[in-house]
Amino acid sequence: MKAVCWMGKSKIETVNVADPQILNPHDAIIKITRTAICGSDLHLFDGFIPTMESGDVLGHEFMGIVEEVGKEVTNLKRGDRVVVPFTIACGQCFFCKKQLWSACDNTNPNAHLMEAAYGYSGSALFGYSHMMGGYAGGQAQYARVPFANVGPLKIESDLPDEKVLFLSDIFPTGYMAAENAQIQQGDTVAVWGCGPVGQFAIASAFMLGAGRVIAIDRFPERLAMARGIGAITVDYSEDDVKVLTALRDLTGGIGPDACIDAVGLEAHSADLQGLYDAVKVVLMLETDRPAVLRQAIQAVRKAGTLSIPGVYGGLLDKVPFGAAFGKGITMKMGQTHMHKYMKPLLERIENGQIDPTYIISHRITLDEAPEMYKVWRDKKEHVTKIVIDPWASRAA
Amino acid sequence: MAEALKEKPNAESVPESSAASVIIDGHYAPPPEDKDGKLWVRTSALIQAEPQTLYEMWRDVEKAPLWQEQIVEVRRTGEKTSHWVMRAGEKTVEWDAEVMNDEPGKRIAWRSIGGESQNAGEIIFEKAPGGRGTLVTELQEFGMGKLASAWKTLVDRNPKQAVIENLRHFKALAETGEIPRIDPQPHGERGTMGELKKSLYGENVPVPKGTKDRLSA
Repeated sequence: MKAVCWMGKSKIETVNVADPQILNPHDAIIKITRTAICGSDLHLFDGFIPTMESGDVLGHEFMGIVEEVGKEVTNLKRGDRVVVPFTIACGQCFFCKKQLWSACDNTNPNAHLMEAAYGYSGSALFGYSHMMGGYAGGQAQYARVPFANVGPLKIESDLPDEKVLFLSDIFPTGYMAAENAQIQQGDTVAVWGCGPVGQFAIASAFMLGAGRVIAIDRFPERLAMARGIGAITVDYSEDDVKVLTALRDLTGGIGPDACIDAVGLEAHSADLQGLYDAVKVVLMLETDRPAVLRQAIQAVRKAGTLSIPGVYGGLLDKVPFGAAFGKGITMKMGQTHMHKYMKPLLERIENGQIDPTYIISHRITLDEAPEMYKVWRDKKEHVTKIVIDPWASRAA
Repeated sequence: MAEALKEKPNAESVPESSAASVIIDGHYAPPPEDKDGKLWVRTSALIQAEPQTLYEMWRDVEKAPLWQEQIVEVRRTGEKTSHWVMRAGEKTVEWDAEVMNDEPGKRIAWRSIGGESQNAGEIIFEKAPGGRGTLVTELQEFGMGKLASAWKTLVDRNPKQAVIENLRHFKALAETGEIPRIDPQPHGERGTMGELKKSLYGENVPVPKGTKDRLSA
């Protein structure tokens, strides 16, 4: 089959690889009908996530048709249409039973790597480094899905693939970010990053009762999209715009009740701290560039909540922890507990409360993926979300 | 002092102690230090199953190859004795083992009684407080002999890590009915660094087969 492979930092190739096979009794093989490139795939492209190996198949947002099931798969049969969550969970351990699916104990074959780095291992992810399980990803024509009784969500309506594809990661991730923001009726919520996760965090914040959502980014197409769903936008790259001042101005001086960092470890920063972080990362004195995190901690109101769906991987420098303590803020973060959110969010799509396709800007083939990773990284061509049809040919 | 705190609605009673215990007379006890040619490792897991079920699974030594790394065969040779065969690469290591203490549903202690490995261990199964499953605590001791060095040199895995991984496999098998694995799976060219990294990530140790053989109906 064809698959998109990571071949080293800034090097992605679409190549022919072996088809996946069933390795355990709860596995299923999915013929992928739609897949996507995630913002977090750029952290792999840019070499920020350790334990990638050349040849690794990328991709963790995918859906398709069940092709084959293992002997102990009882929930699915050949021909079922499913969306696959990007986190892999067993459904049986202490954490899964507490609905903390992304903290699953039993799915990461390389748990010792994550234990060495983080103390304990979380669940495995598709296509996201050997530390996170080493499972081949879904930017391919087929994928092996372990624990298939637990993860894949069956789509029984005739909704087109594109409307449900984002249930695989970014819609639940944006929704959990809003839930983690502990929004009370009428709250003001500030969201850094108006990419796909930021978009769904904005939409979800409104669903959960926010009175005002302030969206911060620098790309006009993303800001326009955020305004399109009702947010007030701040372009931090405009002359004279200072984000902290803007947020004070827009909240009667008290600051947002909740802040959502939908940017994560590769935050862009035009000022001196951007240079400072770039130098430290190059010198390996820090691994992440936490410019948004710093700003969000400063910006959130006293006793407010900071929710972090943006990915962080390692060690951060100059995080104003005194400000966090001094204001008594709450911080909530982590990989999405996917399995808890997929079904209720599918219902919201079926009810017509949201049509997630509004973020899609590019529809491509697998062969075009390597080039599109560059476009996505450099934010060219007004890119907002790239969806791949793994069976389409270039001319289509 | 004991009277100073009267309300402890969910407190457990202080657990009984034995050699592998983490708590002795209410105080935390660290694992023994490595010395005199002996390695010690203690590891623990919270498993969603009854202590009796887990005890029986552990005591069924002939099934150990399903979840213990590099153990290719275990044969019962008596009520309390068994013969173990480990294979690492081309090399085979064999020894006999004897159960020293057997408390059904609670505790098993064993030691090697001849052959090419010197090892001893104890495992305890205790109900976790608050209906959270079973706390499993294992203490293992190795003489730094042929087995330990075979592990180290042939498969590049410290025997201590092997004990930790084996309990992890045991837990996965007990809770989910399989052991997670990724090999073989599709990938592009690994390049020159590939094999080195594989070893670095510990992926050159084959995952025990668990229920892998029960794939198709």
